[in-house]
Amino acid sequence: MQPQVNIPFSNTETIPGMTITQMMGVVTGSTVRAKNVFKDIGAGLKNMVGGELKAYTELLQESRNEALYRMLVDAQARGANAVVNVRFATSSVAGGAAELLAYGTAVVVQ
Amino acid sequence: MERLSSSNEVIRLFVLIVLSLLVPLLPWLVSGIGTAVYQPKKKQELLQREQAFAKTSDVLSTLSKPLSGKEVKEYQVLMTNVVMSPSWIQILVGGILSLFGGEINVFTKVVDWSRREAQQRLREQAAASGYDEVINVRMETTTLSKIRGGKDKTTGIEVLAYGTGIKY
Repeated sequence: MQPQVNIPFSNTETIPGMTITQMMGVVTGSTVRAKNVFKDIGAGLKNMVGGELKAYTELLQESRNEALYRMLVDAQARGANAVVNVRFATSSVAGGAAELLAYGTAVVVQ
Repeated sequence: MERLSSSNEVIRLFVLIVLSLLVPLLPWLVSGIGTAVYQPKKKQELLQREQAFAKTSDVLSTLSKPLSGKEVKEYQVLMTNVVMSPSWIQILVGGILSLFGGEINVFTKVVDWSRREAQQRLREQAAASGYDEVINVRMETTTLSKIRGGKDKTTGIEVLAYGTGIKY
């Protein structure tokens, strides 16, 4: 697990109880991940009956946390102390890999 | 005597041919049973979980501020996701239905199911961490694919639900 970056973030326009004093621009974090072949086979078998593919659920959960972490690192590098309006986007890249993107607006709050 | 044994052999050969034809159909049989038994069972479980939460008003809202106007003391971004896949039979039926156009009912059901599952998990996560409400809920769907035999094949759809959990 990656070290925690202690920056508050929210997917609303403001950080509750604080006022935004300065905007530092859009920050993004992304990662492209694929599951190993054996998990792919397991998921392929589960595909037969349908339903949840737990291996993929976990994979995307982990990767999204990684993307979020990179976004926060980006925000910290810009001298921001909070990120507001965080959004997530996902797209599937060829070859069984998925790209996960987290983006938001880095701000200075007081 | 000679004729009897030869007719026996013919029957044996016939049975063998039928069996060898059935073997490739076995996964489809499993798929059919899975669709008819496993999926309704899981959906029933989801319904029960939803009903446990339906007693109080829904904690999820897409508004960016709490409707009650109360002051927010604590907040955290919560996100839950789920990857679901239609079964082989459903993909087959969906493929046939898509020739005619119109609503592809089998896929609607799977997408609807996964979205409900993602929302329910968000409710459960909010309740587990003691948040009163989840505001600004957004939902997003992606298809996951993998390459098999040079073709891009869909393995499942991912539904992500996220929002800001708040405590008054």
